[in-house]
Amino acid sequence: MSLIEIRNLSKKFGNNVILDGVDLNINQGEVVAIIGPSGTGKSTLLRCLNLLEKPENGSVSVDGKNYNLTTKSSKEVLALRQETEMVFQQFNLFKHKDALNNVMEGLRVVKKLPKAEARRIAVAELEKVGMSDRLHHYPRHLSGGQQQRVAIARALALKPKLLLMDEPTSALDPELVGEVLLTIKRAAREGNTILLVTHEMDFVRNVANKIIFLENGKIVAEGTPKEIFENPKNERLREFLRNINMLRTADDYVI
Amino acid sequence: MAKLFDVKLVFTQIPELLKYLPTTLYLTAIALVIGLVVGLLIALIRMKKIPVLNQIAIAFVSVMRGTPIIVQLYITYFGIPIALKYINYYYGTHYDINAVPGIVFAMIALGLNQSAFDSETIRAAIQSVDRGQIEAAKSIGMSGFQVLRRVILPQAGSVALLPLGNSLIALIKGTSLAFTCSVVEMTAAGKILAGRNYRYFEAYCTLAIIYWVLTFILERVLALIEKKISIPEQAPETSTTEKVEIPVTQEVAA
Repeated sequence: MSLIEIRNLSKKFGNNVILDGVDLNINQGEVVAIIGPSGTGKSTLLRCLNLLEKPENGSVSVDGKNYNLTTKSSKEVLALRQETEMVFQQFNLFKHKDALNNVMEGLRVVKKLPKAEARRIAVAELEKVGMSDRLHHYPRHLSGGQQQRVAIARALALKPKLLLMDEPTSALDPELVGEVLLTIKRAAREGNTILLVTHEMDFVRNVANKIIFLENGKIVAEGTPKEIFENPKNERLREFLRNINMLRTADDYVI
Repeated sequence: MAKLFDVKLVFTQIPELLKYLPTTLYLTAIALVIGLVVGLLIALIRMKKIPVLNQIAIAFVSVMRGTPIIVQLYITYFGIPIALKYINYYYGTHYDINAVPGIVFAMIALGLNQSAFDSETIRAAIQSVDRGQIEAAKSIGMSGFQVLRRVILPQAGSVALLPLGNSLIALIKGTSLAFTCSVVEMTAAGKILAGRNYRYFEAYCTLAIIYWVLTFILERVLALIEKKISIPEQAPETSTTEKVEIPVTQEVAA
């Protein structure tokens, strides 16, 4: 049995089918990357798992506990949200709190930890992402890369069973992408289970254990980085990789 | 000729009128709380578009903003007793309207009037809070109430502070109309005082000074609060004890 088992996840916006019965298993400690053309529901898939979007259908089991994703019970919603944490494209740090308090917030308010303990955990997490020298900086004082590292610390401090990352480097200056990718890589090495949407193909190739190719709300191809990048069987996947210059054979260079 | 304008009296009667300052402040404080609480409720109802309540809220805000405060005070002062008489008559109850002091009517009328204006300020301020931060708060598992208290209100508060301060200043001066509900606050006391010595002009000058000083103090307090809740412009010093650098390039590609 896998740590995370997503079953029959379907989501529509109006008449637009975004996710069409997605099934996905994620094992403990795995880094699963979702790739695919824009508008195919990659972000929506993550957001449904955290119930920031309400799917029409679907369930997820986390470590044996089953959650119905269409639940109306706010107790169940809160319980599921505590199993997963999200890292956003736009960082979404609380701008009226400094780095330390951003990380402490969930520990204090949701986990109800005593202040000293929350602080100890928060400092340790910020240290891991290389931000321990900026505990009292507010988000406005930090660069995009630094903000995203704080956001990753905020998510990891809550010890989620599954860490969701929604294009964590897309809003960053090219120069700052590296430090965030490194932070994610370290989080992966520490054994965190991660579901990641990204366009950083080289990174995915190096860090992910499994890659999902999503198109029109369906998982079209699934495999190890080697299977996906070096020997793509699916025609649509080949086309996608060609378009983003990840599949280079002599024929692809038309002169 | 008797003195046309008694400058000395303007200042010597200040202590006499200050005796009624507590009434003015008490009235202001309660109306402020009613205004903020009801205003927040109206703002939430309107943002969540709760059916029926939403329409009632829209109508309420429109009427409250569209009628003079003095008319509202009269309607409250005369309307509630009439309503109570009806209730007593039809339900056989024996509520005594005379047991309710006039200041209660003034508090309700001023408070509800404030709430209409405050609700619009609060609504605008809440809508200015970044959606992403609300989602982040939800995603770490906060309940709706925790999101409101920990993320939305602190940020909306700093946006709303200045306009709410404006409306508080208007309220302090609005309490001078409470005499319509037979409340003797500072302005009413000034009129009564002047009625004894016919020094009306001096009484109004005294009142002007007191209200202005009051507002001046309030402005200072608001400025202090603004400074306290604002996020510092300057980044704090980076602690140099342990400079943590992330060596980037090699490890990512490895």
